[in-house]
Amino acid sequence: MGHVKDFREIEQTYLPHQALLEASRCLFCHDAPCSNACPAGIDVAGFIRRLKSGNRAGAAQLIFQANVLGDTCSRVCPVETLCQEACSHTELLEPIQIGRLQRYAWEKGHSHLDVAPALTKTREMKVAAVGAGPAGLAAAAELTRLGYKVEVFEATSRAGGVLATGIPAYRLPRSVVEGEVDLIRRLGVKISYNQGFDGQLNPDALRAKGFRAIFLGTGLGQSVRAQIPGEDLKGVFWAKELLWAIKEDPGSHKDLCAKLGRRVAVIGGGNVAIDTACSLLRLGADRVEMVCLEGPQEMPAFPSEVRFAWDDGVEFHTRSKPLRILGEGGRVVGMEGVGIRWKKPGLFVPDNAVVIEGTEFQLRVDSLVEAIGQRPDETVAKIYGLETSPAGLVIVDSETGQTSNPSVFAGGDVVNGGATVVQAVAEGKRAARGIHRYLQENR
Amino acid sequence: MSQHVDLGTTFCGVSFDSPFVLAASPCTDDADMVTRAFQAGWAGAVLKTTSVEGTAVDLVYPMIVGLDHEGKRVFGLGNIDLISQHHIDEIEGRIRVLKKAFPQKVVIASMMAAIREDWKTVAERLSAAGVDLIECSFSCPQGTLGTRPGFMLGQDPKLVREVTAWVKEGAGETPVVIKITPQVADIVEVAQAVKDGGADGICASNTIPSLMGVDLETFVPYPRVDGKSTYSGLSGPAIKPITLRVIAEIARNVQIPITGTGGAADWQDAVEFMLVGARTVQFCTAPMHYGFRIIEDLTDGLERYLRDKGMRSPKELVGKSLAFITSHEGLSQAKKVVSRIRPELCIKDDLCYLACRDGGHQAIELDENRLPLLDEEKCVGCGLCLTVCPVSDCLYMEEVKPEQREDSQEGERS
Ligand SMILES: Cc1cc2nc3c(=O)[nH]c(=O)nc-3n(C[C@H](O)[C@H](O)[C@H](O)COP(=O)(O)OP(=O)(O)OC[C@H]3O[C@@H](n4cnc5c(N)ncnc54)[C@H](O)[C@@H]3O)c2cc1C
Ligand SMILES: Cc1cc2nc3c(=O)[nH]c(=O)nc-3n(C[C@H](O)[C@H](O)[C@H](O)COP(=O)(O)O)c2cc1C
Repeated sequence: MGHVKDFREIEQTYLPHQALLEASRCLFCHDAPCSNACPAGIDVAGFIRRLKSGNRAGAAQLIFQANVLGDTCSRVCPVETLCQEACSHTELLEPIQIGRLQRYAWEKGHSHLDVAPALTKTREMKVAAVGAGPAGLAAAAELTRLGYKVEVFEATSRAGGVLATGIPAYRLPRSVVEGEVDLIRRLGVKISYNQGFDGQLNPDALRAKGFRAIFLGTGLGQSVRAQIPGEDLKGVFWAKELLWAIKEDPGSHKDLCAKLGRRVAVIGGGNVAIDTACSLLRLGADRVEMVCLEGPQEMPAFPSEVRFAWDDGVEFHTRSKPLRILGEGGRVVGMEGVGIRWKKPGLFVPDNAVVIEGTEFQLRVDSLVEAIGQRPDETVAKIYGLETSPAGLVIVDSETGQTSNPSVFAGGDVVNGGATVVQAVAEGKRAARGIHRYLQENR
Repeated sequence: MSQHVDLGTTFCGVSFDSPFVLAASPCTDDADMVTRAFQAGWAGAVLKTTSVEGTAVDLVYPMIVGLDHEGKRVFGLGNIDLISQHHIDEIEGRIRVLKKAFPQKVVIASMMAAIREDWKTVAERLSAAGVDLIECSFSCPQGTLGTRPGFMLGQDPKLVREVTAWVKEGAGETPVVIKITPQVADIVEVAQAVKDGGADGICASNTIPSLMGVDLETFVPYPRVDGKSTYSGLSGPAIKPITLRVIAEIARNVQIPITGTGGAADWQDAVEFMLVGARTVQFCTAPMHYGFRIIEDLTDGLERYLRDKGMRSPKELVGKSLAFITSHEGLSQAKKVVSRIRPELCIKDDLCYLACRDGGHQAIELDENRLPLLDEEKCVGCGLCLTVCPVSDCLYMEEVKPEQREDSQEGERS
């Protein structure tokens, strides 16, 4: 199974006649289900009509209007569970390939965008966004369009959040996010990098600088640990950090490869685990074995991603629970796991797993990556005095994104616990409208 | 991005906020519908053709048949609709209501009558009601409103001139537009008659008399009305090329403002209509199929196109292509063109090979990998191969310079 061993983007874009053939299948439904299924509310039928009539710039404009990260989303959205699942053409033949058409429309039309059309109203009020991930960028763009002066404070030196530091380049080249961030900046959003909470980001400092409302889109910063013996061995990694290192330097990974070795185990069954496993194969690992509690159909990863990993040559140990990491001389040499079944059917959580005695197994690996989830950095909620859920997620009003602190709004992973890019965009937009209402009422 | 584009245009001295107008049709046979269309952004609407008593409007159903093509719906649309059942009394009221609610939008009334007195008084009443333009249908291809079944007023230049003059008498200051039929031997003669009759503009053209198809089980053609059928008026994308020729012919030969109708489905079609001489473009089948909302792409697409072309107004488009139309004898034989292939794009359906073998000059051979090889000697440059190729730009035409041609022949011989 000769899997590809580099980080070049896998999916190719449409040629013009292919795009036209696909677009001409679109029925242009009234009150189109695809648009309603898009959390960001992209007018899908509208942009496909424009594409079909040869108005490519107009198509890109519709996408940009609803989603400033439309190019990214055309690549990473789980379309088969969103717009394409809703597509009426499914009843006729098969859904329109909306994601690919969106990518094509963007590619052909974005250079002619009206990035920042003249505002109908400009306002003097300043709003701060903390975190330049999808939620923060979407909120900032929407607020700017509403006329506010917006500054985004980002902890790292990169804008894009997980787009810049997580999703591997073969699915999302860095240039895509950079292009979008550039447009957002041209829209009028100011982004400041390397900003931490310690100094000027604390709420009093922000208020003193004249920011009237704050949006928090800080995502999930902390990796969850499996808490099994052996985690302190050399050769144990956490997916978030590893993917970041890979994304930073997709060219030469000599040091990283040396640390990882030839055989790697990845713990977890979500998209992050899949991205990690497939990235490891691209780094040159001989064998990558995924160990997860869920069965093949139960994994939280998008089905298309699981299929992709399978085709890539990743090996799966499903309905399996890692017990311990085995070491020699302080280095990982393997891991031990055991088969499980579910106590209550249909409930795929660790507490519901029952070990099946006698199914213990061992894998010989040189390193192990844990990818079993992330949770928010709790200092964020603490500094702002926000109500949180037991899992540490910020609690917000479902209409406005307002937190328990009236001038603080939040959205994205830090609220929903980790969903999708497009969901983070939608929540950023929701909070922007909430902030607008709040500031109108509290001038 | 910089320069400002104003989509506004004028036709017969009336200002439109864009060239996009709804044609006389079911879309415009109701004040609420026109209200929604104006709200959606249409610049104007031609209300469905009205008349006075004495003009029987006996509708039958079903009255619509689609022309599908290889799985695509509504490549054409056939109808056996007649003019509006709404009497002039009602239309007068509608005009007042619409003009009051939308002073900036253009309300056009369409009318027809059977006798001189009616042509005149209907025009008078429409004008008094404050309509912006009066359009006269000389071209209902279906129905028996005339004295001869199937006959259209627009098919007799003498009558065209005469009736136009009657309407002008009644219309007073209100400009008059005559809607003609493409179903004539000499469109220029008819257009000249429209002008000679004193009309301010011409609407070119209308549906085309057609037989929409036959049910192979019952032998009854479509549409089937209780076991019988009749001829339909064909509209939609299928008739666009016919309309383009009609507009171009009029524009090249008669000095009269033109509004185009017949087969326009999107802004590109509208641009084509304007390039060959139309000042405004009317739509019927497209909004009947996809709703008034298509106006959004029409205006956005046109605006971006004009900006791309460095133009400020759709007026700059009007007639721009006419200089490139000539008679067949006017075309050059001096330049030799041949087909060329980009093999990397070929998907090996070999349709070009078949077409050239059985419908051309056997200039395409297939190599051992089923890749088409073009024989430049045999290729006359007819263009059939690229017409049938499903891949855009896989085949293309290129001019061969005489020297180059000799060179390549030399090369082959040696
Ligand atoms: C590996 C991986 C693959 C994924 N694949 C997909 C996919 O294919 N499709 C999909 O739809 N979704 C995918 N997701 C999920 C998606 O990326 C997230 O849901 C989305 O990025 C959430 O956006 P966010 O803005 O809420 O948070 P983030 O993207 O996490 O951004 C948060 C930003 O806030 C910054 N920040 C944090 N704390 C502070 C602070 N104190 N001060 C200043 N800045 C701070 C961070 O540096 C970061 O830039 C994936 C996630 C991962 C990890
Ligand atoms: C159902 C139907 C009814 C129509 N009724 C009228 C009419 O009353 N008067 C008229 O002048 N044209 C009428 N037309 C013709 C349209 O105004 C238009 O000129 C024609 O359909 C061609 O344009 P299109 O291809 O955009 O549909 C009708 C067309 C259709 C399809």
